[in-house]
Amino acid sequence: MKILVQKFGGTSVDRHEHRVLAARKVIQAREAGFMPVVVVSAIGRAGAPYATDTLVKVLKDIDPQVPPAPREMDMMMACGEIISTVVFAHTLQTFGYNAIALSGGQAGIITDPEFGNARIREIRPHYIHKLLEQGYIPVVCGFQGITEPTDEYEHGAITTLGRGGSDTTASALGAALNAAGVEIFTDVDGVKTADPDLVPAARTLDICTYQEVAEIAHQGAKVVHPRAAEIAMDHNIPLWVKSTFSDAPGTRITGYGAPEAAARRVTGITHTGKLVYIRLEIDNAAHKPLVEREVYRMMARAGVSIFLLTFSQTALSFTVPRSQYPVARDLLDGMVVPVELDEQEADGKLAAYYIFKFSDGLDLAYSVQRPLLAPVEKRVRVVDVPASVVENCTIVSVIASRYRKVPGVMARIFQALTDARITVYQTADTEMSVSCLISESEIHRAVRILHAEFFEQRDAIEGGSLAE
Amino acid sequence: MDIPASQSNSARVSFERERGVYGVTIMRDVAHLVISTGDEVGRTDRILQVFRILAEINVPVFLIKMHRNRITMAMAGTDLERAGQAIEATGMQITTRRDLALVGIRAASMRDLHGVIIKIADALFEAGAQILEIGDSHDSVQCLLEASKIADAVASLRRTFHLEGRAIVESSVESEDEV
Repeated sequence: MKILVQKFGGTSVDRHEHRVLAARKVIQAREAGFMPVVVVSAIGRAGAPYATDTLVKVLKDIDPQVPPAPREMDMMMACGEIISTVVFAHTLQTFGYNAIALSGGQAGIITDPEFGNARIREIRPHYIHKLLEQGYIPVVCGFQGITEPTDEYEHGAITTLGRGGSDTTASALGAALNAAGVEIFTDVDGVKTADPDLVPAARTLDICTYQEVAEIAHQGAKVVHPRAAEIAMDHNIPLWVKSTFSDAPGTRITGYGAPEAAARRVTGITHTGKLVYIRLEIDNAAHKPLVEREVYRMMARAGVSIFLLTFSQTALSFTVPRSQYPVARDLLDGMVVPVELDEQEADGKLAAYYIFKFSDGLDLAYSVQRPLLAPVEKRVRVVDVPASVVENCTIVSVIASRYRKVPGVMARIFQALTDARITVYQTADTEMSVSCLISESEIHRAVRILHAEFFEQRDAIEGGSLAE
Repeated sequence: MDIPASQSNSARVSFERERGVYGVTIMRDVAHLVISTGDEVGRTDRILQVFRILAEINVPVFLIKMHRNRITMAMAGTDLERAGQAIEATGMQITTRRDLALVGIRAASMRDLHGVIIKIADALFEAGAQILEIGDSHDSVQCLLEASKIADAVASLRRTFHLEGRAIVESSVESEDEV
């Protein structure tokens, strides 16, 4: 008999009626001749009594000034899946099936010791195999594992896998058990061409490649976590996204080998991010590489992520997450970068001081620092680096398979957005997507317009195909 | 009841990709096209015109960047002449380079890796390779460099990120193979 891994997310196990529907999916698989291995998430989402966020709050509320230790935080977070697993196993038992609840460690999931964001090092699936041979349905806690039990320092501590942890558990178990497939059950009936809350006309894709679904997830859609897609891809495990609440066939996720998935096409419109766009004018092409490296260095030290980087000869622009913008601004405003003369002329003499100045009203540090440089200005040039800022930006992306080999995608995107008077501040592209930085206030319109362009126009061939 | 490690050594399976930078890709014969669009009224129309022309003559472009008074992009070196002629015919000024290569530094969850950009910038600076254009995504940072600097640049990146030789992969703009 073939093994089938079935993963149920929080909304599929949040109440008895939903758990019964989920249990029926497991029973159907069993009756169809599979040996199901079930993976479950914690019960419900934020606010539910046993949801992960609720459990974390219990710990954090003890003293908001003292953050919980990562190890204890992981033990606490793991409780959500343990409760859910036990409840789900018992639900199956009430239908007369021999189900058994397993923690991540009991399922043989061994991780590195990075609490809160552990990576699976290996899976030792012997116990699951033994249970399957004995006719049990193993119900495994998603999102968790343990560190190496025999290691003197790690000694089998409970770890959690971070974002997308339960999907990752399911995919990794599918690979370790050489499963016939992994089914990810959720509250939508498959991978959609756009967020159905924004675009009622969004369609469910019949088929999608691992790369496409990973890109869709990276660019903001909450379908299958990219880590899970990558594991499935690396081990060539067929993946399905299905609804717990319907009998719709769902979306099959496969490799490019499948003929239906081989076409160059647009598979979705996604959106993500609350961003701030920063542009720095460094008015000296020769000194710019040195000055911009100090920007990167400073952002790295402060743990600020920068992306959508763009160069010109005398400017540098990038975005930062809005939550990190105050840190970025405080670090950069008033920052002074001394640039030495070339080695030949040098002898340690300075060519210039560059000082960063943020937009009107935000240049507090600059206002203090700049006068302090006045005494040296007779000997060394002091150059302002003005920063202009666009707050409240976000990214809308068109997921376009093999984009770099297909002409005309950007023309259609730019035409559609500019016809709608939506300003594109910057673009970025990968092999699989084109992204545009736009104002956050325009995001709903932008998603709808691009969806219409690629999926609802009369010349948009089936599935949002692209002309080759 | 956790599984004792001693019982399970025979059936271990490895999984997730390494944290951090795991590979470098090199795409050769890449060209860079810089088109002056002006920063006054009509800039958007001129950008749109550029994209339309490139679509009409079937030239795929990537690493597209918007600047105040120009737009830049990369393409296969073999497409450069055709693209350049078509855009010049509209009266827009262009500058081109074809002696370039695109180096992609690949990582799982690139945007969670604080400091990777400075490491790349330092590595390329040490190799004497000027970054002519840069692009980034969730799984890579791509740098457009002079082709003559590629060997030194890749060697420096390998040292910085402790990469083995097999982590360096050649790809082609023309190729249908996945990187």
